[in-house]
Amino acid sequence: MRTIGLLLRQRARRDAVSLAVWLAGLAALAVAGYPGVRSSYGDEQERVALLGTVMANPVVLLFRGLPSGAGEAQMVAFLLLPWLLLLVALMCSFLAVRHTRGDEEDGRLELVSATAAGRTAPLVATALHGVGASIVAGAVVAVIFVASGAPPVGAALIAAGCTLAGTVFLGVGLVSAELMPTSRAANALAVWLVVGTFALAGTGNALGTPSADLTRMTSSALAWFSPFGWAENTRPFDTDDAWPLAASVLATLVLLGGAALLHARRDLGASFVPPRTGRAAARPGFATHLALTVRQSRAAGIGWIVAGLLVGILSTSLAGVASRIGEGNPAVTSLLQALSGTSADLSRGLIVVFFVMLGIFAACAATQTVLRARQDETQGTAELVLGGGLTRTRWLADHVVVAAACAVLTIAAGIAGAAAGALSGGTDADLIRAAAVAGAGQIVPACLFAAWAAVLVVALPRTAIALAWALVAIAAVIALFGPLFGLSTAVVNASPFASGPVPTGEGVDPRGIVPLLVVAAVGVAAALGGMHRRELVA
Amino acid sequence: MTAVIRTDALTKHYGRVHALDGLDLVVEAGQVHGFLGPNGAGKSTTIRILLGLARPTSGTATVFGSDPWTDAARLHRRLASVPGDVSLWPNISGGEAIDLVYRMRGGGTGPAYDTARRRLCDAFQLDTRTKGRAYSKGNRQKVALIAAFAVPAELYVLDEPTSGLDPLMEVVFRQEVARVRDAGATVLLSSHILSEVELLCDRVSIVRAGRIVDTGSLAEMRHLTRTEVSFAASARATSAAAATVPGAEGVREDEGRISLTLASDAVAVALPRLAELGVEGLRVAPPSLEELFLRHYGASDAPGEGTRR
Repeated sequence: MRTIGLLLRQRARRDAVSLAVWLAGLAALAVAGYPGVRSSYGDEQERVALLGTVMANPVVLLFRGLPSGAGEAQMVAFLLLPWLLLLVALMCSFLAVRHTRGDEEDGRLELVSATAAGRTAPLVATALHGVGASIVAGAVVAVIFVASGAPPVGAALIAAGCTLAGTVFLGVGLVSAELMPTSRAANALAVWLVVGTFALAGTGNALGTPSADLTRMTSSALAWFSPFGWAENTRPFDTDDAWPLAASVLATLVLLGGAALLHARRDLGASFVPPRTGRAAARPGFATHLALTVRQSRAAGIGWIVAGLLVGILSTSLAGVASRIGEGNPAVTSLLQALSGTSADLSRGLIVVFFVMLGIFAACAATQTVLRARQDETQGTAELVLGGGLTRTRWLADHVVVAAACAVLTIAAGIAGAAAGALSGGTDADLIRAAAVAGAGQIVPACLFAAWAAVLVVALPRTAIALAWALVAIAAVIALFGPLFGLSTAVVNASPFASGPVPTGEGVDPRGIVPLLVVAAVGVAAALGGMHRRELVA
Repeated sequence: MTAVIRTDALTKHYGRVHALDGLDLVVEAGQVHGFLGPNGAGKSTTIRILLGLARPTSGTATVFGSDPWTDAARLHRRLASVPGDVSLWPNISGGEAIDLVYRMRGGGTGPAYDTARRRLCDAFQLDTRTKGRAYSKGNRQKVALIAAFAVPAELYVLDEPTSGLDPLMEVVFRQEVARVRDAGATVLLSSHILSEVELLCDRVSIVRAGRIVDTGSLAEMRHLTRTEVSFAASARATSAAAATVPGAEGVREDEGRISLTLASDAVAVALPRLAELGVEGLRVAPPSLEELFLRHYGASDAPGEGTRR
């Protein structure tokens, strides 16, 4: 018992900062809910209209919750609940892998297990730590909802949903850490399961049966296979059913028990999925640092490109539907116009919204690639290549080049997806042109983030990773949610994603392309110049 | 001879920590130069400056006559290095890492490289298919050593190259150093394993707190030290008699043995007197590198230390 206490304290201390950041993000999202709904859908009429649109165009449900009435609180739950759940789920699955397979891979677990802690105590401590973090996350959400004026029973259900989403995906993380040989593979499996079940619940809701007044949806059976579906089917502030959460409790117990069983049946350092061996000799083309950087970025890059393709397909296939409904629905039209920042027609506006999303993906791809330089530096592999005939400038430049390529490919995939979506829904050359313009307009903002990341890597290496991601996250939230939450146009346009060129009826509105281009170019030049003068920092 | 490596009054400060504090190091062409010092003395910092990975706070460092900070990439085509703490790319196999580092150093493809690589992988018994993350410390070290020795270089910069290697592999390592030395290369070998340096190195520099405190060939360094002589105490060979040995100092008797020290260049002068005393069980011990080393590190409470002063 004493060792578990010690291990728990060590975990709490190690995670203090990262859990604080996760919880702050969760709190920020929860805080934004009520004011956002009040300002954007102030009266019942607008909310009914929005829900009507959603029912007619259920693809939106992929990104939202289960419609359960047009009241203010019900609307907040509809818009926010899946995202709150998603944050807690990701927080807990990363937590699980970090303290199990992560420690094991780096040899720290061996150090701990050789003490009185033994083989089991670290796993138990990790599980308790994760459950504790889930409970805190739920409490944070409950307090904020009640303080915003939500009915306490519904707020408690939302909080319970968040906590149990945390414990379920804690279990998922622990099991995948048992199965996979590396923390990277374990995290990948867990995140795929999080995203997969998130989409499963969304699809299940989209395929559901709407009520006669179009304000409620009954999930199809598909949603019941997802922890997100269970939490959403509690219908907080509506029927306030707690019983779907029994499935979450059961899944948590099964997963935690499964992790314990698997753990008892393997050696320290072993895994059920065997590690793969590599090639005995390198391929002929694997001869330059650029080739190495491409190789290191390949897996993540493909992920972003696929994501870009999907966003592209959705943008046009959805735009066609939206323009048909939007014509008779001024509330939706004005909302979309606010989001896209143009007074253009609805489908073009919707494409812009989706392509802001695409720009964010491309920026993530670029940022991740540039930051790999910093990881290369801290883990010591940079020393290996810089000790072998490579200049420091070239080392960073290769990362920036691959980052830009990743961003461009992500956007190209998005445009291709948009074209495919448009063609499948009946050819519409104008829609494809709009997609191409909106997509190309996001290339410069995405590359700007690569430039910022490079500047940070050079100037503030120790905090570069956190700062670069924070910049992307802030810009993304402002561009995506700013108009929804009533931020002023000046603030929204400060986000690079919201100042790329957009299509208009006749041509192209360049918006802030020139300053973006200048800042990006200056940033890259400054970073490369700075790298020429900077030494390696562990 | 020309200096391959030369540093003058090299300093490197990390905040208030003075990692290097006026380090003067000269390595001549063709030498196997031991760079000795305990952890934290400044060995790795010096090597990072010589490789152009860190910039000196003051002073100069040259490798092949040019500044490693500005000419790193060009210099690296002429040298091979093994970092002090080898880390590999987790998702890339050892074989691929060896090939990549070789190619980035400017090596072309050809049967010579293939032969060298195969010979080294066999000698070091490395499984080249394993991914970087799965290697043990010793195996990561082997990957770095093979990558360094597979390429013919003019200078080898090795930072504690045998850490984590087993004794059999240390033998292979020594053979490789001998091979490149015979081929005319220069080697800077940083280490705190004294026996290794004693076996391999022509010259030694001892670094302490960021400065070179002693440098020279082992013979030269011994020259300035005292040799310990001891023999069994007997009726004739007493402590009093021992004090009459020319140049004897620090005479003492301990558990039936009398020991004294002589200047290392005056041992022969003292031998006739020792013969007169009819000493038995005579032992003449020139100072080991370890003693030289401890002398510079002021281990005054180490056994036997008092006799050398």
